[in-house]
Amino acid sequence: MTVKKKTRSPIYVTLSDIERAYKKVEEFQRLIERGKTREQIFKDLLKLIQVE
Amino acid sequence: MNSDLLQIILKTAASCDLPIVIIGGLALPAYNIARSTLDLDLCIYIKNQEELNEFINILKKHEISTVQAPKINHNLFTVFGKGGEAEIWLQPCDTFRWDEKMVNRIQKFYSNVYVLSVEDYILTKLGRSDRSSTDINDILQILIANTNIIDWEYLIYRLKWTDLGKEFNEVLKGFKSDFTNNLRNISKDIWEKFNNKT
Repeated sequence: MTVKKKTRSPIYVTLSDIERAYKKVEEFQRLIERGKTREQIFKDLLKLIQVE
Repeated sequence: MNSDLLQIILKTAASCDLPIVIIGGLALPAYNIARSTLDLDLCIYIKNQEELNEFINILKKHEISTVQAPKINHNLFTVFGKGGEAEIWLQPCDTFRWDEKMVNRIQKFYSNVYVLSVEDYILTKLGRSDRSSTDINDILQILIANTNIIDWEYLIYRLKWTDLGKEFNEVLKGFKSDFTNNLRNISKDIWEKFNNKT
């Protein structure tokens, strides 16, 4: 058996990465503005993890 | 259901008086962001093998078991229950262990669900030995969504403690560049809050 050595990706943050991050944060804030709570969002994500 | 699995694990930890937190992608809503994830990751603060054995034995009574023989010096073990599985970490990250300060900063998300402080959570993302671009993107979003919440002095203390300051600076360069090019004030704030404290 071979063990793959874990490696960290080098960090290089582009302007597109920052742009995408702002958009994702805005998406979450929109959910909150529409009345979803952080708890509901967490529970929705938990449901998605369910294993058959 | 995973929610049942999660609740049994949380209640078992509480009955043993063991602090436990959600980590990984599932914890992100506690920090005002979200993305889908396939893993249920928890991290428990256990000081010795006896406590660990007791925790595992009680889980077994609730039909949640592990095929491993977890030891106190292991990083993590996997448990299986009806309809789901979870990874239970014995340390917040594979490159650093719990300390009392970290435990004291655990914060309530809701009800009996707890998470690490936002600063310690950032460290778990930055410090992991198999860190990916997903981790870096999570950090970018956490910084944007929590600029005024983050205890920057504590974050800097932790960055020094884990020797990750240089890497965090690489993350921040993106915000500096964003402010230079797009004049976004949050990017400027993030850059300045960090540099004013160092």
